[in-house]
Amino acid sequence: MANKIILETESLSKHWGGIKALDDISLQFHDKQLHGVVGPNGAGKSTLLNMLCGALKPSSGCIFHNGEQIEGMKPWNFVRRGIGRSFQKTNIYADITCLENCAVAAQRRFTGSFNLFASRHSNKMVTEAAEKALYQVGLGNRISSIAAEISYGEQRQLELAMVLATDPCILLLDEPMAGMGHEESLRIIELLNELKKSYSIVLVEHDMDAIFELSDQLTVLDNGTHLITGTVDEVRNEPRVKEAYLGKEEEEETA
Amino acid sequence: MIFEKRTERIFLATFFIIALCIPLFLESNSFFVGKATTILILAIFVMSLDFLVGRVGLVTLGHALFYGLGGYLFVILTPEYEAVNFWIYAIYVMCVSAFVALVVGVVVLRTSGIYFIMITLAISQMVYYFFFDSLHFGGGDGLFIFIKPDTSIFGLSFLNLDNPTHFYYLALLGVLITLLTIKIVLRSRFGRIVEASRLNPARTEALGYNIFSFKLISYVIGSTLAAYAGLLFALQYGYVNPQFMTWEMSGTALVMSILGGMGTIYGAILGTITYEGLQYFFEHMSKDWMLFMGGSIILMVLLLRKGLAGYLEKLLEK
Repeated sequence: MANKIILETESLSKHWGGIKALDDISLQFHDKQLHGVVGPNGAGKSTLLNMLCGALKPSSGCIFHNGEQIEGMKPWNFVRRGIGRSFQKTNIYADITCLENCAVAAQRRFTGSFNLFASRHSNKMVTEAAEKALYQVGLGNRISSIAAEISYGEQRQLELAMVLATDPCILLLDEPMAGMGHEESLRIIELLNELKKSYSIVLVEHDMDAIFELSDQLTVLDNGTHLITGTVDEVRNEPRVKEAYLGKEEEEETA
Repeated sequence: MIFEKRTERIFLATFFIIALCIPLFLESNSFFVGKATTILILAIFVMSLDFLVGRVGLVTLGHALFYGLGGYLFVILTPEYEAVNFWIYAIYVMCVSAFVALVVGVVVLRTSGIYFIMITLAISQMVYYFFFDSLHFGGGDGLFIFIKPDTSIFGLSFLNLDNPTHFYYLALLGVLITLLTIKIVLRSRFGRIVEASRLNPARTEALGYNIFSFKLISYVIGSTLAAYAGLLFALQYGYVNPQFMTWEMSGTALVMSILGGMGTIYGAILGTITYEGLQYFFEHMSKDWMLFMGGSIILMVLLLRKGLAGYLEKLLEK
């Protein structure tokens, strides 16, 4: 693993009252790599992502970004440091155009969001950055469409474009392929393959084929605990993983 | 172009042309000029509320607090028997109101939804009873303005506030300034984030914006404009009393804004004129005017889902 560590967690835990959603997770995310996170429902994948992007505060443990401790910071400061996330449930501005969706995301980088007088259209750099993000995900032909009126798959792409428009260095993607058809999924896989050359990506996904194909590193969570992290092959051959996923089948075999 | 919709441009052009000419026809009748002035002042207030409710997404039931505050601050801050300069004191009053809005905003904006409605209502009622029970500020009778301020700029005077027609044009100028302020703010880079925060607050935060500060600044702008309206109203009638701050005042303004078409801004002008017009009409028609008034408002809200502005847009927009 030659790439440097860009994001790191140290015994990260989150519990709600007595229930442990996530317990003692220590992970390292490398630059220009795709780090897959899988696990059965309720394993704590989304909780992990929510803490990495600052939306949830950990109960204990630390998060380091480029060696700096960040878990106590406000959520918007995570974005400003270059940690961008997409949502499992499509979370866009439905009533405005795709371009405006991305412009909201891009504007922060070019200062002046407290400018009460200058027209929002007066900064060419914002528009260009927004357009660039749309082209990047293949929505170049949807620039002036209202976000609610494009197809579901395209909305998922827009979701990604908005994250890209914030100019992140780390992408936290929560099931970008959820609910997508086969063709659309293939397009996203292709896109992610392209993106991981320049970003560090943390991908939570249920589509096993996709995640096996894309991941450089793969982490399996089960019931809030860290099962294993390794390459795809290492994980595939790990008996504990089969147990976590296929526990019932094994019981049947032994029975 | 800050007026993006065709309907908006047509309506505003028509409105300002007619509004400019009205005193020419009513010159002899100062009652109607006074009535028209009051409607314009209310339109400023309703626009500022429409901005907060319809565009920023802050449903406040305590907006009249700032309407009354504008009036009270003017009387409190000016010496009793001396004509002060209107413009300087208007700015003074608005600055103090902005500061009060900042302090109130920091408290109320920590809540949202139904709790925001309740806490804005509670705070405005608190201030209402403070003025109602305070002997120092005239209690329920309020305070009087004995001498109208003078409106000269650098020694040049072209408005005499004792003249109803002059006062009318001052109110019309207020409508124009309020309209432009709101439209410019909404079109700005700041406005883009305000719009985004209303449409999807969680996402806006996830994109790196601290939406609290955007809401707070918007709240200060809306409240300051309301204070300006209150100041004008107090000057027109020569007094200010706690009735300015009742929750009925906030509620009526909300009805006007909904009637006009929530969030359209120009609809607020339309809603105010319609509401006041209807009220005048029914008051002179019947003793039970409130019944007719309520009935016709329910009817209009049912039939025109997007208010009068929405109906106009359906007619004029292609």
